[in-house]
Amino acid sequence: MAKLKLASYWAAACGGCDTAILDIHEKILDLAAAADILFWPIALDFKYQDVEAMPDGHLDVTLFHGAVRNSENEHLARLLRAKSKVLVAFGTCAHLGGIPGLANLFDRRQIFQRVYHTSPSTVNSDGIEPQTRTTVPEGELTLPEFYDTVRPLDHIVEVEYYVPGCPPTPKQIWNVVQAIVSGQLPPKGSVVGASDKTQCDECPREKHEKKITGFKRIATAQPEQETCYLEQGFLCVGPVTRGGCDTRCQLSGVACRGCYGPPPGVIDQGAKAISAIASVIEAKNEAEVERIIAEIPDPLRSFNRFGIPGSLLVRKNL
Amino acid sequence: MKRISIDPITRLEGHGKIEIFLADDGSVANCYFQVPELRGFEKFVEGMPAEEVPRVVSRICGV
Repeated sequence: MAKLKLASYWAAACGGCDTAILDIHEKILDLAAAADILFWPIALDFKYQDVEAMPDGHLDVTLFHGAVRNSENEHLARLLRAKSKVLVAFGTCAHLGGIPGLANLFDRRQIFQRVYHTSPSTVNSDGIEPQTRTTVPEGELTLPEFYDTVRPLDHIVEVEYYVPGCPPTPKQIWNVVQAIVSGQLPPKGSVVGASDKTQCDECPREKHEKKITGFKRIATAQPEQETCYLEQGFLCVGPVTRGGCDTRCQLSGVACRGCYGPPPGVIDQGAKAISAIASVIEAKNEAEVERIIAEIPDPLRSFNRFGIPGSLLVRKNL
Repeated sequence: MKRISIDPITRLEGHGKIEIFLADDGSVANCYFQVPELRGFEKFVEGMPAEEVPRVVSRICGV
């Protein structure tokens, strides 16, 4: 059997997804035996022109990490779409926008103002900002256009599969690799490398009836380590988050922040989180409800930590 | 003037490109390193509860 042709690319990403692939450890040798990797900037020295030179559909599978934040990300998304038989949105940023998607609460001007002018560590007395074209004595230099809005991959191009997680767990990555190599992939559009249950279904913490009379922060209160975080009043989005990560965060002493995205049947994770939390608040009157809700720390970013671009909201109004 | 573009630079975390301009005799006339990447963490952590920031800024670099 001919070896598979793979690519792995990062757009607006941190490199954690690529590193998670390497975290399959010695199994990377099995992957190398089954597949040739033809483009992988973190590990191999192929250039964009090498990808451009490929015939369309040359790559069997591309694992695309990162959100689409600027025009270079968009160009690579379209380029790799054309060159790949199967395009996988790999990791939360490509799936839903991820942490870079928190920028959708602001616009380009606000971000540039902070980063290039007012941040305490910025020294920029000439007020210089990046330009898409800069003329230098030797010629012209270009930079990508920074967009107002961060997008998940499927807002830009068609995507065959989604692998959630920030980052996906190595165990799940290996499951995905095996599915790819064996050709046993589910219907197009499926989420792979995750479970069909929620975090709560898989969380080993003890659960009782939830009656929340107030919210706490881990900065100022210590959670008890056997019982459900939410029952204790620590905001946890496990009820509205897909399982499959082995509840890594909950086992590490912190509540779920939602990186595996919505479980099957849920369109908008943040909206579902608000609904779920509202249903377990225990209050005698409206004033008490108001008091309890006001205790939720940073509700917008807590309910939509990883998925604003992929949610129904997409962004704050421009 | 001859131009050599190295795009992307590889085997490191992040995005970068290098433009090298060569003079007629083949010597390097000038060289530019560019980072075509910005996500804006400086802005979008503003107002966030302090205890949440470490779990967000750890995504600046995951390598």
